[in-house]
Amino acid sequence: MNTYYAANLLIFAGVDIIACIALNLQFGVSGIVNFSFIVFQAAGAYAAAVLSMPPDTAADYSFQIYVGGYQLPFPLPWIGGAVVGGLLAIPVGLVVLRKLRSDYQAIALLVTSIIANTVITNARPFLNGAAGLALVPQPFQDQIDTSTDTYQYVYIGLTAVAVAIVWFVAARIVNSPFGRSLRAMRDHELAATAIGKNPVALKMTIFIVGGTLAGLSGAILVGFLQVWAPSTWLYPETIILFAAVIVGGRGNNLGAILGALLVPVGFEEVTRLLIRLNIGPPNLIPALEWVLIGLFILGFLWFRPEGVRPEPRRVFEGSPEPEVERVHAA
Amino acid sequence: MSLFIAAFGFGLVSMSVIALAAVGFTMQFGITNMINLAYGEVMVASAYVAYYIDQTGISIWVAMVGGAIFGAVFSFLINRFIYAPFMRKGTANLGMVIVSLAVSLMIANLMLPIVGYYSVSYRERFGSIVRFGSIVLTVNQMLIIGLAVVVMLAIHALLRYTRLGKAMRATAANPTLARSSGIPTQRVIDVVWLITGALCGLAGTVAGLDSETFAIASGAGFLITALAAAVLGGAGQPYGAMVGAVVIGMVTELSAAAWSPDYKQVVAFGILVLVMVLRPQGLLAKRGALAAAG
Repeated sequence: MNTYYAANLLIFAGVDIIACIALNLQFGVSGIVNFSFIVFQAAGAYAAAVLSMPPDTAADYSFQIYVGGYQLPFPLPWIGGAVVGGLLAIPVGLVVLRKLRSDYQAIALLVTSIIANTVITNARPFLNGAAGLALVPQPFQDQIDTSTDTYQYVYIGLTAVAVAIVWFVAARIVNSPFGRSLRAMRDHELAATAIGKNPVALKMTIFIVGGTLAGLSGAILVGFLQVWAPSTWLYPETIILFAAVIVGGRGNNLGAILGALLVPVGFEEVTRLLIRLNIGPPNLIPALEWVLIGLFILGFLWFRPEGVRPEPRRVFEGSPEPEVERVHAA
Repeated sequence: MSLFIAAFGFGLVSMSVIALAAVGFTMQFGITNMINLAYGEVMVASAYVAYYIDQTGISIWVAMVGGAIFGAVFSFLINRFIYAPFMRKGTANLGMVIVSLAVSLMIANLMLPIVGYYSVSYRERFGSIVRFGSIVLTVNQMLIIGLAVVVMLAIHALLRYTRLGKAMRATAANPTLARSSGIPTQRVIDVVWLITGALCGLAGTVAGLDSETFAIASGAGFLITALAAAVLGGAGQPYGAMVGAVVIGMVTELSAAAWSPDYKQVVAFGILVLVMVLRPQGLLAKRGALAAAG
């Protein structure tokens, strides 16, 4: 268990936690089945990459072609990744979230995810097509030697700070009146509309917030991995995150964290161990891992749809009667 | 110009393949209220069954029947053992979409260790060539067009002129009322899964034959093309899906001639986005056969 391995594990965990919290805000709290979630993470990763990389005419980078190349210092690539994730949510949300029935929204987003991947794969001049981007600079790599243990701790620290900020923002959203409106809309859209909530505005807002957080998670990931390609954001990756949120507990941010640690991180580790054992043909274990994720989703939806840590029931203090009297008195 | 006339010929083939896939998909949705995202993977699985029959030296047109039977039985079983229990439990539409996507993922990855990553081809993928002016088609492609026309007429006859078709339309329109009127809706739904599953298997084999090669990864493409045609025509409407297939098949092939074949699915997606923005209920929302009994 060397430092690099630990860093790997902790940073993946941080990225998955941010992604699961973002997906939980959209799916768990607001009921938007965002099957194109991974596209927003990818957008953040690509944005952070081209913001931090030199232009594609630079000496070591001429084997790839891409737009941008601004060589911005940290933390601008991370912020840029988050902003691009949020901006991308606007056009997608405007098309998908306004008129369509909720199950149509889900399939429209799934199709969006598949097509976005096809477009980026085929349109090579944009983001280097199927080969993807490589040699993405890491934060502070000019100041600290990235091969040292110290650098691993620095990156873990940066990730932890991002996780803490995301957790704080998500907790504020969930406990705010805005969060109550979101839950009201999820549970009974018509009733929420009847008391004056605008469901389209609510959905758009949380879609953009989720897109921003997804973009941030992508930026953190690409800063660590230093490579990003279409094969890393195929649509099944979104399903892993759904499995995590369903297992952890929809609507509960702590549940989302638990799910992130159990499903994406836990599975990654178990697979790593199993592959070392060399059982069966080479692609058997990864394939069975996906089957298991499917079984997890079906199993939890059947036996425990509320997840390991269910959403807390929120009861207001005091009975409604005195409340009414006070209103009359005032 | 002759390039576009040739593309028109390919458009006829494409629309036939898409129609076979989309009509099955849309009938599942219209009658059983299930957006079955595993449809593309069942198509691929059936295409592989036909492939293994084809490899034994039997003609692909016979193997195709094997693919259709497999598709029918497989779809029936998926509904019986997964979808129907979840629906009886009261899982909402949104939950069912997640369930079907999970099923899709499981089918693909259960197949993967058996069939491998690599793409395969049927033995008779080329066949002799027939020319009509600038339109050049293989005999296989002409047979595909013929098959699609026959199947579409058969679906029309089934829905219009048989007791079963009437029962299906009634179940689609109002399941509770249909049950009260003495229609065994559960059995009707079982039959619908068998019929649409057979269409799905047939469509998978035909799509594999038409695209010359296929692999596990083809499933997503099969699904979104069928989806685009079904949504364009108005989800749940068999005649709408036929119209959608004509539009998508033609437009994608003409755009491939004018632009690049790499973007066929992107063009289909563009049409889908336009429909979702301008007319989310689809082209034939009010007039489809399943919209109302009678």
